[in-house]
Amino acid sequence: MSKTKHYSIERKQARWGFLFTVPCLLFFAIFSFYPIINAFFTSLTNRDVLKKSWKFIGFENYAYLFFPDKYGTNGGFTLWNSLRASLTFTMGTFIPMVVISLILAVLLSQLRSTRQKGFFQISYYMPAVLSSVVAASIWMILFDPRGLVNQLSNWMMHTEGRDFQWLTDNTMLQVSTMIVYFWKYIGYFVILFITGLASIPPTIYEAAIVDGSTRWHTFWKITLPLLKPTIVLVSIMAMLQCLKTFSTQYMFVQNGAARQPIDVITMNIYFTGIRMRKIGRASAMSIVLFVIMLLLTYVQFALSKTDEVDY
Amino acid sequence: MASNTYTGKVTVMEVLVWILLVAVVLFTLAPIVFMFVASFMDAKQILSMPFNWIPSKSYFTSADRTFFTNFHKAIWGNNNSFSFPRNIVNSLVVAITDSVTTVLLASLAGYGIAKFKFKGRNFVFMAIMATMMIPFEAIMIPLYMVASGMRMINTYQGLIVPFMVSAFGVFQMRQYLITFPSEYLDAARVDGLNEFRIYSRIVLPNCTPVVATLGILSFRNQWDNLLWPLLVAQSEKMKTIPQYITKFSEEKQTDEGAMMACAFIASIPMFLLFACLSKYFIGGAAVYESRKG
Repeated sequence: MSKTKHYSIERKQARWGFLFTVPCLLFFAIFSFYPIINAFFTSLTNRDVLKKSWKFIGFENYAYLFFPDKYGTNGGFTLWNSLRASLTFTMGTFIPMVVISLILAVLLSQLRSTRQKGFFQISYYMPAVLSSVVAASIWMILFDPRGLVNQLSNWMMHTEGRDFQWLTDNTMLQVSTMIVYFWKYIGYFVILFITGLASIPPTIYEAAIVDGSTRWHTFWKITLPLLKPTIVLVSIMAMLQCLKTFSTQYMFVQNGAARQPIDVITMNIYFTGIRMRKIGRASAMSIVLFVIMLLLTYVQFALSKTDEVDY
Repeated sequence: MASNTYTGKVTVMEVLVWILLVAVVLFTLAPIVFMFVASFMDAKQILSMPFNWIPSKSYFTSADRTFFTNFHKAIWGNNNSFSFPRNIVNSLVVAITDSVTTVLLASLAGYGIAKFKFKGRNFVFMAIMATMMIPFEAIMIPLYMVASGMRMINTYQGLIVPFMVSAFGVFQMRQYLITFPSEYLDAARVDGLNEFRIYSRIVLPNCTPVVATLGILSFRNQWDNLLWPLLVAQSEKMKTIPQYITKFSEEKQTDEGAMMACAFIASIPMFLLFACLSKYFIGGAAVYESRKG
């Protein structure tokens, strides 16, 4: 279709195009843009759900969050504690997840039979089908002092009847939440990497074989460099996802685990805003979370621009 | 990586690789099998050392116990409140409605952006993409205020409306439809179909793969959603399944077997969906790859 001839018809059609996007635009205006602006505004007030009146208090909420020594914690746990909890959870989950899923994906893509490949992919992906709450409830029983995980660790460490305190020790509790998350999402990341690997043209590998490259060498010199954009993308996606974790920690805490070690930011927002009804303070925390995620997204964009690979 | 058909021999390395791959299968599948078998056991049997993987009647501590005691308890609740069926219906209603609206609204907007050259199109697209950077967790408190302002607390609207469409869905639809041949659309226009008809009769029926992927993604997100219902559904009647499971496990008299039965029933819809449409689940994961663009 030539564009200049039917100019007026195209204009008329174009109006339809805009009309089609209107429902979405309205939706995002009300349920995304307005709330984030509102969150920023509310973070500057001392709003409380139950009280009608509130006043503008500037950056006092942020001062409260960042200098707990000066302002006290008022019963809750500090933002610094939540940042620590979220950061350890994110680092402790995404690094093993990316490394191990990459190894598994490379190994799987070497399998000759597509049926075997399919079987492994489906098996690895299975936990992702369950909801997070179900995953947490299964693992809570497995982590019981008399449960299977303890029995298995005793068998592996050659100890008799030792309690590894999966849900009671502060460090172990954090490890436990990481294991649940790792278990649930490992298959998902394996599949992301398999897709990435499949986009590397086989001719490059053929050339490497002809040149007498060993498999080990091929992996480090060809696969890894060519896969770098995928690795960066998947890592940041995993980090963003880990920062949003809530269900596992919530489930553990509701069933009697200590809150302090696993009080991730999202849970702190929930407890401060909904349980303690300090909406202003919770909004300030939301803005902190938003800024962290924005920075990560920015890094992703910056890196993916410089890392373009052409085959 | 290249296949090693040219050697033909099974090396030590290959055996090690197989052991690793199978070990990971055990790691991912054992807890699911555990959930299944434990839902037929009583608490004593579940926490016995060493654990016996086959449920057996001889272990039961009370005489009136059957293999379905756990399921009965999971469905009727510890105090016979019988809120489980209602909660599962709530979850289904929310998840199905949201996946339908996501598909419809996202395809409509995606089509508009991909195939029409209106003024400010790039701005519209960028604005929608920008919302991908706003995590739900950061706006849930203001959203809660919006919902209570609209009197949507403890209603289906409250559970459904904030997730009616996702920016990611719009993006997916646009990427898919941008390669859709414009000749079809022009042919339909010549035949006198109006623009909305073209969308509903020609565009929508021709993007089944994205529709399925998006629909499933949205369904499972809502099936899994705990945080928003915690805020917006406070009455027993309006709670969703993740809330029911959390509440059920909190109760002191809940035994592990009933807990697993409850988790197992709650997973049945997802298992069924996965069994029928696993290709789109896995496709859904791979689709994230394209966010690179």
